[in-house]
Amino acid sequence: MTSKVAVIADQDTVTGFMLGGIKEGYPVEDMQEASKTLEDLVSKDYSIIITTEKIGDELRDKINSLTSERALPMIIEIPDKSGSIERETDPLRELIKRVIGVEMVK
Amino acid sequence: MAQEIIEDINPTRMELLKLKQREKLAVKGHSLLKEKRNALIMEFFNILDRVKGSREKVALNLEEAYKDLTAAQIAMGDLAVKKAAMSVKESIDVDVDSRSVMGVVVPVMDYDVQKRTIVERGYGFMDTSVRLDDASRKFEESIAQIIELGEIEKTITLLAVEIESTKRRVNALEHIIIPRLQNTVKYIEMRLEEMDRENFVRLKMIKKTMSESEA
Repeated sequence: MTSKVAVIADQDTVTGFMLGGIKEGYPVEDMQEASKTLEDLVSKDYSIIITTEKIGDELRDKINSLTSERALPMIIEIPDKSGSIERETDPLRELIKRVIGVEMVK
Repeated sequence: MAQEIIEDINPTRMELLKLKQREKLAVKGHSLLKEKRNALIMEFFNILDRVKGSREKVALNLEEAYKDLTAAQIAMGDLAVKKAAMSVKESIDVDVDSRSVMGVVVPVMDYDVQKRTIVERGYGFMDTSVRLDDASRKFEESIAQIIELGEIEKTITLLAVEIESTKRRVNALEHIIIPRLQNTVKYIEMRLEEMDRENFVRLKMIKKTMSESEA
């Protein structure tokens, strides 16, 4: 099964990934649009959806409900043109800490 | 807590046998779950080695890619870059498979991102800048890394959720359910013994009164 990959992001990021070879780019202007597009893509069985950290932060609840406890779709958040968002705690590191009980990664 | 027993229980032999069965089952389940937890944690550690620094790597790579993209946009104009992007051919081919780690289904990506030469990308050379080539190449590299990162992060999240719930169940069995069953078994055994002794004394008393009345 060849899986479909899509990008939901701002115009520049989408252009960049199109240059890289992902043809399914969905430039979105605001969060309503992003949310609608995301739902649409998930229902269409896209298995990998790349989005920006900004969109990911805004739509956190929706993404969690769509993806948690299931293997697919995979929604990957990447930094956009203005760089990655500085967070006090890395959510992944928090999770690891909670599971193992001690700080493991670095 | 330590002396807690199951309430509303009849101290009968029937009940005792049932409880002993249940205790046996709980102990068996506990050791199985413990094994599952250990296996999951081992898997978790394996994948932790891979996650180290990979997000930072992706961020760094993307930053460079965006820089080149901006440079290309400055050199060629926003619209021309968009036009060139439209004509780029699909480069990635991802197969998503899944594998089961102790009942947790995790995705396995089998991806192939072609490293293409500028000719193969599909846009014209006449109206494009060399910066655009750089940007395309860097985005291609980033895509491969992003997919790998996605696979790792997803696996970690799924495993973490499973480990947490398994841990909770192991602890509940170990610290609450099994002790409670053991205490109840002990309580019933003691009650039964007490009843035995009472009976014994009663019989002795009866024997005594009978022999006295005979005499």
